[in-house]
Amino acid sequence: MNSKVFFQIARKGLPAIVTVAVIIFLYKTYGAWEYTVENLPEFFKLTYEHLVLVLITMCFSISIGVTLGTLMTREGWEKISPVIMAVVNVWQSIPSLGVIALAYGILPMIGLSGIGLIPALIAIFTFSVAPVVRNTYAGIESVSSDIKEAATGMGMTKQQILFRIELPNALPIIMGGVRTSTALVVGTAPLAFLIGGGGLGFWIFTGIALVDMGIMTAGAVPVALIAMLFDFILEIVEKIIVSRGVQADEAQLAAL
Amino acid sequence: MGTMLKLDKVTKIYPGTDFRAVDELSFELEEGEICILVGPSGCGKTTAMKMINRLHPVTSGKIYIDGQDVSSMDTIQLRRRIGYVIQNVGLFPNMTIAENISVIPNLLKWDKKKINERVHSLLEIVNLSAEEYRDRYPRELSGGQQQRIGVARGMAGDPPIMLMDEPFGAIDPINREHLQNEFLKIQEKVKKTIVFVTHDIDEAIKMGDKICLLQDGKLVQFASPEEMLTHPKNDFVRDFVGGDRTIKRLNLFSISKVMRDDPPLVQASAGLEEARSRLSEYGTDYLVVLDENGRLAGLAADEDLQKKGGAVADVVQSTRAYLDGTASLKEALSGLFTHDTGFLIVVDGDKKVTGWLDTNDIKKALKD
Repeated sequence: MNSKVFFQIARKGLPAIVTVAVIIFLYKTYGAWEYTVENLPEFFKLTYEHLVLVLITMCFSISIGVTLGTLMTREGWEKISPVIMAVVNVWQSIPSLGVIALAYGILPMIGLSGIGLIPALIAIFTFSVAPVVRNTYAGIESVSSDIKEAATGMGMTKQQILFRIELPNALPIIMGGVRTSTALVVGTAPLAFLIGGGGLGFWIFTGIALVDMGIMTAGAVPVALIAMLFDFILEIVEKIIVSRGVQADEAQLAAL
Repeated sequence: MGTMLKLDKVTKIYPGTDFRAVDELSFELEEGEICILVGPSGCGKTTAMKMINRLHPVTSGKIYIDGQDVSSMDTIQLRRRIGYVIQNVGLFPNMTIAENISVIPNLLKWDKKKINERVHSLLEIVNLSAEEYRDRYPRELSGGQQQRIGVARGMAGDPPIMLMDEPFGAIDPINREHLQNEFLKIQEKVKKTIVFVTHDIDEAIKMGDKICLLQDGKLVQFASPEEMLTHPKNDFVRDFVGGDRTIKRLNLFSISKVMRDDPPLVQASAGLEEARSRLSEYGTDYLVVLDENGRLAGLAADEDLQKKGGAVADVVQSTRAYLDGTASLKEALSGLFTHDTGFLIVVDGDKKVTGWLDTNDIKKALKD
């Protein structure tokens, strides 16, 4: 085995091994394993709620984020786009807990409940859509004008240029936004519990309140695993949907 | 052969200015001709070209392709009928080479099999192996290879007209020369009507059937390269083509048209006696020695032939004072100054001797 192959395996395998070791250590040390086994039905219910929260928010973030980001690059949006970008950037600098609190405070003003799954979804969505919008916009804007000119000169319609040229070439950047967004969603999701949104946050905050490391770890570890799982899935999706001609190649990745 | 492209008093004024970027430009192109739009930067040559496929709308005047007014045609359909090659190639990075080439055939809804065959034959035409390159991505190719794919992509829909915007501008001089030659060979086969923009007058002279020299949006001279070099219309043209006009004309002749077909030959197996009589017959300092297959073996010098006895094969010296018949007179002149043989041998691809020439032949060609 040459050193390059070894490096590749080490790069992918080592974090996984370390993570597993840390999880076992945490479960054993604080009694989280026993707690989870004793409350298995609740564990599944909370995990299910958590996954639903994450998946629904991601669907909205990606579909609305990509659409808005794309629209911002279209003719007629030149004046509005910088404004949207400014809002998006400011919005993202608000801490996630603040967004949850804002949803709790503001939604009742417009006649909606501030408590429950829907406000949690809205709060996490507004927080996580920003990177998708920003990266879609930046990704499409970064497609070189030569390529677009060639496409126009060859007789492609605006729609063909968007779907065959602009979006596929912007895809690596868009996927970067999607991964950032997913990380935000998964990281913010436990906070949903605070406004009655359910999910694994229940155990985390209960554990904190009771100063019981076992309960807290029983909630925190699955949250971390879900985060890693989603990142892994997205990495595979990226490999499949991004053209090999615009993927960062292995040599570049190894240098990171 | 009819008129393929006609520009009739085409004018372009960019909105918000009264500057005439292109001013009443008119010319006609026959089918299969290459027309080079050339001029200093800002002369309107690129604008003029981009009005043909309506990337820039014309302000006034008409453009006809094959007798049809382009302004009456659907923009998208029009562009699909015109091959377009740009300076920075603009291959689509997300598509393989085959996909890049088949963009227009796909837009024209050709069937899969026909597209496949087209990709294969185009890669062959531009001298890249289909097996090796069709599934690669643009970033895996060198700049020169990318540009060839750019040309192949432009030809893919079999358009009657191609527009090329400084296609070799971003390529280093050595590869550019090579690509130009290759492109001319391709054009021999495909005979497209081509509008080609460049700022390089040497490229214009080499590639063009017609040169359209522009200054400040106005047509200064529309003529063949030969005409432009021998009869520049005014001082601007004279300056633009440069003080070395005569040297540039050398590029226009291939040596096979100028050479004489009676070189001072001798067989390697011939005796020195016979060689000496040949030498005095021709009055040259060297004899061209042929091997038994009639290929160039080298030269035999006057003083070496004065020995007694033996054969020419004993005194033959290898030489590089020969050129292929397709070379230009410019290369021939350079060769004549490099080698002190007094003449150059002309050979074909098989290294069979087909003729010879010296400086007098070049002078004669320039005089005619």
